[in-house]
Amino acid sequence: MRPDKEQLNLGLLISLIIILTAAAAPHFLHLHGWITAFFIASVSLRIASLIQPRLLPGRFLLFMLAILGLTNVILNHPILLSGETAVALMTSMVGLKLLEIRNRRDLFIVVFVGYFLLATQFLFNQEIYMVGLVVVLTTALTGVLLENSRAKPNNNPVKSFSSAFILLLQALPVMLILFIFFPRLSGPLWIFNSDEIIGRTGLSDNISMGSISKLVLSQEVAFRVDFIDTVPAPPNRYWRGPVLWDTDGKNWYRGKPIAHAAPKLISNQAEIEYFVTLEPTDNKWLMMLDLPSDIPDKADMSGDFLTMRKEPVKNRLRYRASSKLDYNTGPISPEAQSRSLQLPDNITQRMRDLVQNWKSASSSKLEIVNKALEYFRNEEFYYTLRPPLLGSNPVDQFIFESRSGFCEHYATSFTLLMRLADIPSRVVTGYQGGEINPIGEHLVVRQSDAHAWAEVWLQGRGWIRVDPTAAVAPERIERSFDFDAGFASGPLGRPIDFTGVKLTFAAKMIKQISWGMDAINASWHRWVLGYTREQQSVLMNMLGLDFLKGHSLAFAMIGFAAIVVTLLGISLWRASNRLSDRVHADYLIFCRKLSKKGLGRRPTEGPKDFLRRICRVRPDLAPSATKITLLYLELRYGQNHTKERHRSLYEMIKRFSP
Amino acid sequence: MLKLPERIIRTNRQNSSGLVKISPRQIYILPTRYGVIYGLLLLLLLLGSINYGNNLAFFLTFLLAGLGIVAMLHTWRNLAALELIAGTNNPIFAGQTACFEIHLINERNSERPNIKIQTTKRNVATTDLSSNSRDTIKLFQESEKRGILELERINVSTSYPLGLLRAWSYVELDASCLVYPNPASSKPPATDSEYDRSSNGDKGVGVDDFVAIRAYRPGDTPKQINWKAFASERGLQTKQFGGDRSDRIWLDWQSMPNIATEERLSRLCRGVLDACDKEQEFGLRIPGTEIYPSHGQAHRHKCLAALAMYEDAK
Repeated sequence: MRPDKEQLNLGLLISLIIILTAAAAPHFLHLHGWITAFFIASVSLRIASLIQPRLLPGRFLLFMLAILGLTNVILNHPILLSGETAVALMTSMVGLKLLEIRNRRDLFIVVFVGYFLLATQFLFNQEIYMVGLVVVLTTALTGVLLENSRAKPNNNPVKSFSSAFILLLQALPVMLILFIFFPRLSGPLWIFNSDEIIGRTGLSDNISMGSISKLVLSQEVAFRVDFIDTVPAPPNRYWRGPVLWDTDGKNWYRGKPIAHAAPKLISNQAEIEYFVTLEPTDNKWLMMLDLPSDIPDKADMSGDFLTMRKEPVKNRLRYRASSKLDYNTGPISPEAQSRSLQLPDNITQRMRDLVQNWKSASSSKLEIVNKALEYFRNEEFYYTLRPPLLGSNPVDQFIFESRSGFCEHYATSFTLLMRLADIPSRVVTGYQGGEINPIGEHLVVRQSDAHAWAEVWLQGRGWIRVDPTAAVAPERIERSFDFDAGFASGPLGRPIDFTGVKLTFAAKMIKQISWGMDAINASWHRWVLGYTREQQSVLMNMLGLDFLKGHSLAFAMIGFAAIVVTLLGISLWRASNRLSDRVHADYLIFCRKLSKKGLGRRPTEGPKDFLRRICRVRPDLAPSATKITLLYLELRYGQNHTKERHRSLYEMIKRFSP
Repeated sequence: MLKLPERIIRTNRQNSSGLVKISPRQIYILPTRYGVIYGLLLLLLLLGSINYGNNLAFFLTFLLAGLGIVAMLHTWRNLAALELIAGTNNPIFAGQTACFEIHLINERNSERPNIKIQTTKRNVATTDLSSNSRDTIKLFQESEKRGILELERINVSTSYPLGLLRAWSYVELDASCLVYPNPASSKPPATDSEYDRSSNGDKGVGVDDFVAIRAYRPGDTPKQINWKAFASERGLQTKQFGGDRSDRIWLDWQSMPNIATEERLSRLCRGVLDACDKEQEFGLRIPGTEIYPSHGQAHRHKCLAALAMYEDAK
């Protein structure tokens, strides 16, 4: 290695600037604009000073810039100790360090910070392409180290890059073993006191008219499901999310959790078992097929059958659960009864009249429910993504005037009408439907499948699901609609057309490709991102290594890694000596053949001297022995090694018979 | 550089033909300080990965860990089976710096970049060896006294490929440099007492050295007439100058009584150099050795070597 204080050459410096800018760039998407600006300004100054070295700031100016950068971070990312603040700080400091980089010592520091910066990318983005980007940049940074540790710069820097790639390829087996066997913890080591604020689309714990229809515009995947045996029919694919109890007439809230003993579920039906791979939501609840009967260990079920974890789901999460489609939840608690009958104060007379009509015409509560559904079915209600804006009393306006709405309009209005009829009821949000990926054979549920429905409590039946949207637009429940931009941009109140979507050939191709991508993504999520403690023990079982747990897993990891490294070492050693050693081994065969005829090579005799003696003693062997010896010398000591020539040497020695 | 106790150091020694092949089992390897920082970085990454339960961060952490381990193999392999052989070197005078040539031989089909050869901290040479090639590097070693200067134990090291680890091996090469005595700056030893005429009679005629005075012969140039003698009425005499070739001087140990041995050698050395400069034939007489007068580089070396090895040779 050259001395630490030696100046860097221009090529290395420029490569470092490019690599680190690329490593920081994905952070620009979620960091504050001023952090990005600071980084870009630093890098620009660095590039300018390549042309005009006087622009390079001195020690004092650098110190001032560091203070400026720190202030910038504190002002724009005020939450200390959050991952995002750390990333903001690191991005700013990388920019500054590039300005300061002068010698080879700085180079190491910058490369190490670069590796770290690349790792932080995975906190924000875990897609396959990000892994690709990180691998390319890791190779480039390693290439910089390789180039740096030569005595003289390589004539061809691409060679350093490809050597770095080979090194990383050789590191791959070790990486895999560490990845598979490294004992995973079930929870974090420490928790930052503040949550990272990363805007995510998804359900929230309150809805108003129009909130779900906004969500539906997103084609993002919410979660994926692998069913173990039975796949429920589309009308039964209700994925339960937050249950909303309280309303002020416009919005619906979860309110305080229902005090409830462990919820009971009475059912004789067989369970449906499945794995869910949930995308990060930043919320604590887990999506379950309605109604969950068996939930993951580290989650709790609330009184309204919402499955909650203790911490928000910040990373992709895979869990096993089971559900029953046919159930009876039993009696209702007094508290739940009063909460589920709570009414806002903007109930109008015509709403009361409507409900009174149903009540007087019905003999049971079930009949009232059916009358309400009939009302939605028979009156001129439309199912639309672009409902007209509603005023101060949205429910009244929706029921009697606009009559165009999305699932949340129907669910909330229906629930309110039921409460007016003294039937305990509540709104349930979640997802409905999902598409089976024909390639991966798993169910994909997207944000566009977000849905809201109602639940009413009936004596003897418990809480039962009623979906008023199904009454208006049964197709919505039968199949997911094939979303396209036309829905969002159509005229106000335009009903959704479930049948008119004709796919062109190109559209079919695109759909096919997107299914393929989704299948890749799903296995990526299942085997790479979702490789948790549970998956690890599943894999150990599959490999027949289920006795490995905790410490022994760590020992196994070290053992296997040691084996792999030893094998790599041996193969490197053999690869480096192979040809010239094999040539020599062949020559020894030649010597042995002669030695059997009493013409052994003396220890002090070089190949040429030996040849001279052969020619003198056995002139008949001279031509072939000369050929062999000369080729041997050339292959062993000359520059011209080829496999073909080695083979011809081998053939000659084989044919040689003294 | 790490100092190991002498008795546990394992050294590569040369075979009968003077070649040293670095044995793969005699290579030491330790992380450099950047390697230590890299280790800390990995630890930090691991903690972060565990905390966030982020499998891709694990992936990168383990990839970098694997890289470190693979780099260890490559650093070791970069040195293993490297061959060294001592080259020639020229004799020097005491106090001068000896230059040892060392040939590095890479018989492998892959390159060996960043091979560093050093004896002391200041005395370093670095080179990149391409595949199947040999390269010559020079190591400088300062001499203090006359005699034989042995090449110190060499430390062959490399930190390729990443600079995170340094592998090194000790090599003992039998290379030595002859160190002549430091030539005295003062006058050379007296040589006129050992003045000797050529028995062959051919003194030659020259202008450089005064040879004798003889009777004037017609035709002698007035410049050579001994005017002092003429003035004292001793008749016309001619100063005769002779050619160098005709003069033989003896540089004799005994001509300098009461001087310390080293000082004597130093003066004799000066005498040898001066005689060579004047292209005189000279002989050297020191206790135990007598070199008959001769001239030329070989003779010069023979005399200087005799001075260098005086008493060491016994």
